[in-house]
Amino acid sequence: MSEKVTTDGESYRDLLDPTSLALRHQLGVLGLLVLGLLPFGVGPLMALKLTGALYFAVFAMSWDAVSGYTGQISFGHGLFFAVGGYTSALLNLNWGVEPALAVVVGMAMAAVAGVVVGVPALRLEGPYLSLVTLVAPLILLQIFIVFSDTFGGELGLSSPENLVTFESFETAITANYYLAFGLFLFVLVLLLAVTRSDAGSVFTAIREDEDAVAAAGLNPAKFKVFAFVLSAAVGGLAGAMFVHTPVGNPQPSQLLLLTVSIEVIIASVLGGMGTIVGPAVGGLFYYMFRDYLGSITWTVPLTDVPVSELDLLLFSLVTLALLFFLPGGFVRWTIRNGRRALRGGGPDGGRAVPDGGVESDAGTTPVERTLASFREALGDDASTEDDNEH
Amino acid sequence: MVDVLTTVINAVTISALYALVAIGFTLIFGVGGVLNLAHGAILTIGAFTAYYATSAMGLGIWTGALAALVVAGLFSAVLYLGMIRWIQDEPILVMILTLVSSIAIEQFFLVAVGTQPKAVPSLLQGQLSIAGSTVQTNQALTFVLSWLLIGALIVAVNYTQTGKAILATSMSTKGAALVGIESDRMYLYTWLLAGALAGVAGVFLASVRTASWTMGRGPLILSFSIVVIGGIGSIRGSVVGAYLIGFLEVFTVTYVDSSLSGLASLVVLVVVLLVRPEGLFGRELAEA
Repeated sequence: MSEKVTTDGESYRDLLDPTSLALRHQLGVLGLLVLGLLPFGVGPLMALKLTGALYFAVFAMSWDAVSGYTGQISFGHGLFFAVGGYTSALLNLNWGVEPALAVVVGMAMAAVAGVVVGVPALRLEGPYLSLVTLVAPLILLQIFIVFSDTFGGELGLSSPENLVTFESFETAITANYYLAFGLFLFVLVLLLAVTRSDAGSVFTAIREDEDAVAAAGLNPAKFKVFAFVLSAAVGGLAGAMFVHTPVGNPQPSQLLLLTVSIEVIIASVLGGMGTIVGPAVGGLFYYMFRDYLGSITWTVPLTDVPVSELDLLLFSLVTLALLFFLPGGFVRWTIRNGRRALRGGGPDGGRAVPDGGVESDAGTTPVERTLASFREALGDDASTEDDNEH
Repeated sequence: MVDVLTTVINAVTISALYALVAIGFTLIFGVGGVLNLAHGAILTIGAFTAYYATSAMGLGIWTGALAALVVAGLFSAVLYLGMIRWIQDEPILVMILTLVSSIAIEQFFLVAVGTQPKAVPSLLQGQLSIAGSTVQTNQALTFVLSWLLIGALIVAVNYTQTGKAILATSMSTKGAALVGIESDRMYLYTWLLAGALAGVAGVFLASVRTASWTMGRGPLILSFSIVVIGGIGSIRGSVVGAYLIGFLEVFTVTYVDSSLSGLASLVVLVVVLLVRPEGLFGRELAEA
């Protein structure tokens, strides 16, 4: 691996001067600019959908912070999204709490949920942890159904007040969009900063080899809980703000169903697990593509079934193919191939980043690297792996 | 108050079905080391194969059940050959891809059949009388057939050449390879077997209740609880776990509150994972 670690001074200078950035960073900045200007180019309906997509992308990034970096694969991240959303909506609907305050409480509750899930995570490994996280939102959903007087059961609650309201519908939509965009930017920068900091290196190290982290005198438990709480708080914040927009509602189908937890994983892995940027892109793409498929009115010949009814079927098939052929995700694939195309014998095309997420050789995606810890948890030694390769 | 004996009979029947589903699930995990989250969807495939065989093609239900066994088994094998074989060293990817596959299968049935549940005829008509309470013959057959299959499986694993090879692979892939066992072929057999068992369970489940596109979800999630309680990879543990969870489910729904369906076993699952993650009979198969 020819990783070139830049000093802090260099990276800050790079950030201030766009022309000194690597091409992929320039493209990223350009992408953000386009996102920022989009509401002026598309109709209000599209802006509304994009608002939802932005919150979903934030949610996907929160999943990546814990699962992509520490390798603690959460199969039930919808739990945090729902705890944030429901707490905030209930406070607003039942006690008339101001949305802004309700959102903060919702985020705090989600952080508490993060502790509840994160602490067991210290005891469990690999697939066992994934099972517990898979089951957690199912239990919450059952509780919502049992106490449907309070939580609205499977139908959910009515819409709480919007976070920002304006006389004109279009202004309100634009304002909501920028609110979502602001959160998106904030979370993107925050999570990039955290995962590129020393703590982020420890997260990655935990994913690679937890015993080595402990042997180096660091406490992996502390970092794992920190990752869970950070991720839960961010996910809860996204959920809470999402329900206070015209697109989002406090309903299990939008916040809690198993499919929500799965969708966020699909989106993140599609974009590129363990990169933060990947899940952000993947989240936006996933939400808009699902929406696009759902809006096609063309009918499949012979069967008389409109494509809009097939959206989830088509999507799952497309996803299967993409995940199967591109397990490292879009972003990583694009960067690798883009760099290969650009590199006419020149040196390393871009700055290496400490997460190892960019300059990775084939066969070292985080997905594959988490493998080792899974094998260990299953009581298998490395021998199984060797056998299958030969 | 509901007749206790009737409740027990219901619990025994449903536990027998859960055992079939859970054994397949645990076999794949114990031998191949991967979690097959499409297992519930394969059960759905079995149920709808029987439904189409009886309603659209006019075949008898016994032929339908046989067809379900074959189709579900083959589908499971194809899933392994086409997808899992290439990624079985990446457990997360396996979990994600099997989960997405199950969504695709469910959506397929949703589009093809619709949301309306479909009735599948009973394999045996009529009723029996046991200790003064009437039992559907179909339920009795479920119980008997489940034990026949479990018995046959245990005999096959312990006394046949192939069965011993599967057992050896589950204990140590390397050791098995040293004596000339092809692990990939053993994995294929496990998937085939697990799919067939799930297909049969699907037919019975559909004949006791109904067939619908979401019918595989409940059994899949219960399978988690069952195999974790029993110990992942252990056939004996799965049978014991299936009866524990089956009784817990039926008694909670009958005597406590029907809205608690599913909750009790999930709570048990979490508690077991936290207190004794290796389960009751953990590592019987998974470790030498």
